[in-house]
Amino acid sequence: MLDYKFLVDTFFVALSGAPIAILITIVSLLIAIPLGFLLALARLNKVPFLNRLTQVYISFIRGTPMIVLIFIIYNSAPLILVSIFAKLNIKTNIYDVNPIWYAFIVFSLNTIAILSEVFRSALITVNKGQLEAAQSVGLTNTQAYITIIIPQALVVALPNICTATTNLIKATSLGYAMSLQEINLRAKVAANVGYNYIEAYIDIFLVYLILCMAVEYGFKYYEKRLRTYKFANT
Amino acid sequence: MLEIKNIHKAFGKSEVLKGVDLKINKGDVVVILGPSGSGKTTLLRCINFLEKADEGHARFGEIDINFKTASRKQIHEIRQKVAFVFQNHNLFNNKTALENVTLGLIIGRKIPKEKANEIGKKALDKVGLSDKYDYYPGQLSGGQLQRVGIARAVALNPEIILFDEPTSALDPELIGEVLTVMKKIANEGTTMLVVTHEMSFAQDVANKVIFMDGGVILEEGTPNEIFRSPKHERTKQFLKRVIPEFSYSI
Repeated sequence: MLDYKFLVDTFFVALSGAPIAILITIVSLLIAIPLGFLLALARLNKVPFLNRLTQVYISFIRGTPMIVLIFIIYNSAPLILVSIFAKLNIKTNIYDVNPIWYAFIVFSLNTIAILSEVFRSALITVNKGQLEAAQSVGLTNTQAYITIIIPQALVVALPNICTATTNLIKATSLGYAMSLQEINLRAKVAANVGYNYIEAYIDIFLVYLILCMAVEYGFKYYEKRLRTYKFANT
Repeated sequence: MLEIKNIHKAFGKSEVLKGVDLKINKGDVVVILGPSGSGKTTLLRCINFLEKADEGHARFGEIDINFKTASRKQIHEIRQKVAFVFQNHNLFNNKTALENVTLGLIIGRKIPKEKANEIGKKALDKVGLSDKYDYYPGQLSGGQLQRVGIARAVALNPEIILFDEPTSALDPELIGEVLTVMKKIANEGTTMLVVTHEMSFAQDVANKVIFMDGGVILEEGTPNEIFRSPKHERTKQFLKRVIPEFSYSI
């Protein structure tokens, strides 16, 4: 019933889109982790202007479906870029810009909002007394955060960061709307030839599953290492 | 050595410190008594800048500091001289006992690791925890945790140690071990400012007792003066509740 040869072949076609998905995920995380952390700090310390701005930004992202966000950015970013290119005299044709750059923007924006809430809730779980004790032994706030507070917050944040990462990987599937050559699009294109959609979808599903399970495994390992102090038992 | 003048602190609308003056000499063991809400803890926290006082001056040796306009650098300087022991120990949960004690030395004071470990081990030995260097806070009992907290303060070699109700959160059985340690370091000449409800400590170890209520100091004097012949009505009232009127022992 199933075309097994096609099933196997298309698996590797789908897999060829994996590097793009992984690249987008990594770039988005690299941008979103520091920025998300700063925004979380701004919220927690109620920094006057930034606090409100962050709240509005997060609400906007939360209220916008990913696909809509992609449509918005994909249709408006080029227009903005054209005028920037004109001002800076960059002679690139806007249609030659690889959609992956728009993908970086969209997914970063989304992940920054998500991670800032992840970090904010994780930082809340750390007792205020920890910072006070650090201050009273003469540490600066930065030193206190790096040695005491972030490690403790990380234990709580990691499961949520894992979820955010796997969601990010899966969300790259919406990149087809930007003609991004990712997992989904590649497999579907192959399927279009002989209408073997079922096999294609199975392969797409398998690739995402493998990627996400690998991520989960990695996070679990890291979580275990971090938790030694919490559950140390002699 | 430490002189505080006219310290005021309000939280929102409620004024918690209404003008407190305090003088501590080197080697003094000062106990602050008083009902809850009298401002004792706030006073301590203001000295260490864990709370920012609204008004007031402090003179620390040669350093003059205004609580309201203190700069970060000045605050940092003060914290080098003043150590704090918290009611809830506030040990760093992700560090071992030894690391807890040495963190301030290694990172805050840039003391090399070996020297810091030496100092830290000595401090832990002093509080009777020589076998617990590598234990995490999650593995220690309440009394042990508080003793590590004291070791952490002692290791900094501060000019004065502030104790904020160090035994209030402990089981009655564990209070003794902490008080013993505090008595030991008091006898070694450490300058201590202690907020506590443990009258035995105030009577036996302190050389000065202060009674606070409603954000001001109502009375101060030697333990004998305060406990045997309190002058203020409120002090008498407070002590009556806390100490039996007559005690006989043969």
